[in-house]
Amino acid sequence: MNFDDYLKVSKILLEYLPYTLKLFFFTLLFSIPLGMVVTWLKKCRFKPVSWLTNIYILIMRGTPLMLQIVAVYFAIPMMVSSAKKAGSIEGTFYETLDKFKANENYMFIMLVIAFSFNYAAYFAEIFRGGIESIPVGQYEASSMLGLTKMQTFFRIILPQVVKRVIPATSNEVIVLVKDTSLATIISYTEIMLKAKQQMNAYSSIGPLFVAGLFYFVLNAVVTVAFMLIEKHYDYYK
Amino acid sequence: MAVLEVKNLSKSFGDLQVLRDISFNVEEGQVVSVIGPSGSGKSTLLRCVNQLERADSGEINVCGMNMLHMNGSKAVYAPHKTLREIRLRIGLVFQNFNLFPHMNVMQNIIEAPVHVLKKPKAEAVQDAVELLEKMGLSGKEKAYPCELSGGQQQRVSIARALALRPDVLFFDEPTSALDPELTGEILKVIKGLAAEKMTMVIVTHEMEFAREVSNHVIFMDGGYIVEEGAPELLFGDTQNERTKQFLSRYRK
Repeated sequence: MNFDDYLKVSKILLEYLPYTLKLFFFTLLFSIPLGMVVTWLKKCRFKPVSWLTNIYILIMRGTPLMLQIVAVYFAIPMMVSSAKKAGSIEGTFYETLDKFKANENYMFIMLVIAFSFNYAAYFAEIFRGGIESIPVGQYEASSMLGLTKMQTFFRIILPQVVKRVIPATSNEVIVLVKDTSLATIISYTEIMLKAKQQMNAYSSIGPLFVAGLFYFVLNAVVTVAFMLIEKHYDYYK
Repeated sequence: MAVLEVKNLSKSFGDLQVLRDISFNVEEGQVVSVIGPSGSGKSTLLRCVNQLERADSGEINVCGMNMLHMNGSKAVYAPHKTLREIRLRIGLVFQNFNLFPHMNVMQNIIEAPVHVLKKPKAEAVQDAVELLEKMGLSGKEKAYPCELSGGQQQRVSIARALALRPDVLFFDEPTSALDPELTGEILKVIKGLAAEKMTMVIVTHEMEFAREVSNHVIFMDGGYIVEEGAPELLFGDTQNERTKQFLSRYRK
């Protein structure tokens, strides 16, 4: 591959960068709030809820994300075909599924679902660690001042948790940038898939390095962003 | 009128009984010191009265409101609303301050007046400025707790407790986490409050201070109140062997 070839490959990958970014941002958008909900469920005093949440976290963290993507992607087509076999008792339900399967965004939606549920499990554990690291004295002081449980959580605890979970969260977000490449397993066209195609076209591993550079630059941006966020919270210890 | 009435209070942690049949009263304007060796139950007593621990049995009345009473052999706490009302009438100063680190001095002090008492912010700020002046902390409004010395942090926490205008203020070893050089400024502030007839209950290891500032001293050991009385009596010529033994260690 000569310089011009590298330029061409870079242009192609740049064209597909939005698909990688789209998956990245949508996953963050859903997995962070979902992670908070999972933390809340795990800390639920009603034990069965807490146990079920533990099982969910165990599965999400204990099996490969790649496997989960494939499972989620084929879940609905399988439901459709089994509904068909069963004589489609629930007609409208079957139709809804079938229509959804044919949706042009079907693959992307299923990817975001798989990624979000997987990352929520990790975020949940990060948030839980953050909440549990706040000294009990903060709760006691809040209670003595007459703050309600809601006020204590949202005004006293949560702002401190945010500061504490930034380093661990930045780790997770950096991994997510690279994990978007796992979407190639169901042939979602993003930069990794395109790089592989270009590799074959040129019979060279050159395009792979270009893709690597893309991820590297993305993560440099993520790293700087988190440095700035950390700096923003630097006004207290 | 008794601001605080404690009758036959008992509390265990598992097999360990930390409070045994404790009874005492605190009258309005009184400054009561609670002294005793580590593990004698003085902090637990304070935490039970402040609802930070649940007592096993006994009766507690605060400002004429019943907080805990016995129904047969069952300890019954007042409804949630009453407990909250009681909490707003008392203040607690912690050993390790427990200031909110993400809020500056002013925000720490006005948090409860504004968000709990729903006072107008301007009024709460005005009160806070006066309290800070009294604490010798004028000009520190915008400082964060991490930028202050231990003594200053403790004075902010006293101002924060006073901002709710409590009827009685509790101190849980307020100088134990401080450098010996910094304890003086806290003791001075407490003396100032005593001069204003603030009702206070102080758990402390500072014997000289307890003797000077309080008009009633309670000596606890092994979960019991061993002896209580005027400071002159307790520190002067106690007849109790256990009290003598304890105090002799501090005289050296």
